[in-house]
Amino acid sequence: MKTKLRLLRAEQGWSQGELAERLGVSRQTVNAIETEKYEPSLTLAFKIARLFEMKLEDIFQPEFE
Amino acid sequence: MTVRPQQEKSIVQRPAFGIIAGALWVAVYMISRMILKTPDLGQTTKILVALLPAIPCGLFLWAFMRNIQNLDELERKVQMEAFAFAFPLTIFLLMLLGLLQLAVELSPDNWSYRHVWAFPPVFYFAGLAIAWRRYK
Repeated sequence: MKTKLRLLRAEQGWSQGELAERLGVSRQTVNAIETEKYEPSLTLAFKIARLFEMKLEDIFQPEFE
Repeated sequence: MTVRPQQEKSIVQRPAFGIIAGALWVAVYMISRMILKTPDLGQTTKILVALLPAIPCGLFLWAFMRNIQNLDELERKVQMEAFAFAFPLTIFLLMLLGLLQLAVELSPDNWSYRHVWAFPPVFYFAGLAIAWRRYK
C-alpha cells in the first residue's frame, strides 16, 4: 500500500516521534508505515486520516494486482 | 482534533519492570539450584526450594502480560511473529532431544531440563530480532 504519510508529516513539521505520540503508537510503527513495510489497521488508518483532516484514500492508496 | 497525550504507565506496565522480574526469576532459579546441591536436605524442603522460582515467574508473567496489552499494533504483531518462530522451534528441540535420547545416551549433566530451558528464550529473542528487522 502506498502512503503519503511522510510527506504529510513533513508538511506539519513533526518528527516521527511527535506523530507517534499524537497517534498513541511507537515511533517504529510510524516509521514502518512511512516506509510501507507495515500496513496499519483500519482503526489506525482512520486515526491518521482524522489527524491530518483528510480522507483515508488521500493518504493511503492500495495497490491492486 | 484534540491531541491526547499517552497515559502515564504504571510501574508494572514499564518494560524495565518486566526485565527486573525476569532477572529475579533467573536469580531465584540459580539460588534454588545452589540450595538443592546442599546435602542433608529433607525431601519436602527440596520440593519447596524447587518450587521457589514459581513466585518470580508469576511476577514476570503478570508484568509481561501487562506489557503486551500496552503495546501498539505493530509491536504486538512483532511479538506474535517472535512467538510463532520460537514455539515450533521449542517443540522441535524437545522432540529432537527425545529422539536423540533413544538413539544415543545423552548426558543428563548437559541435556537435562535444567539446561534445556534456556533455549526457548534464545529462540524468542532470535524471533524478535528477525521480526523487527522486517519492519525497520
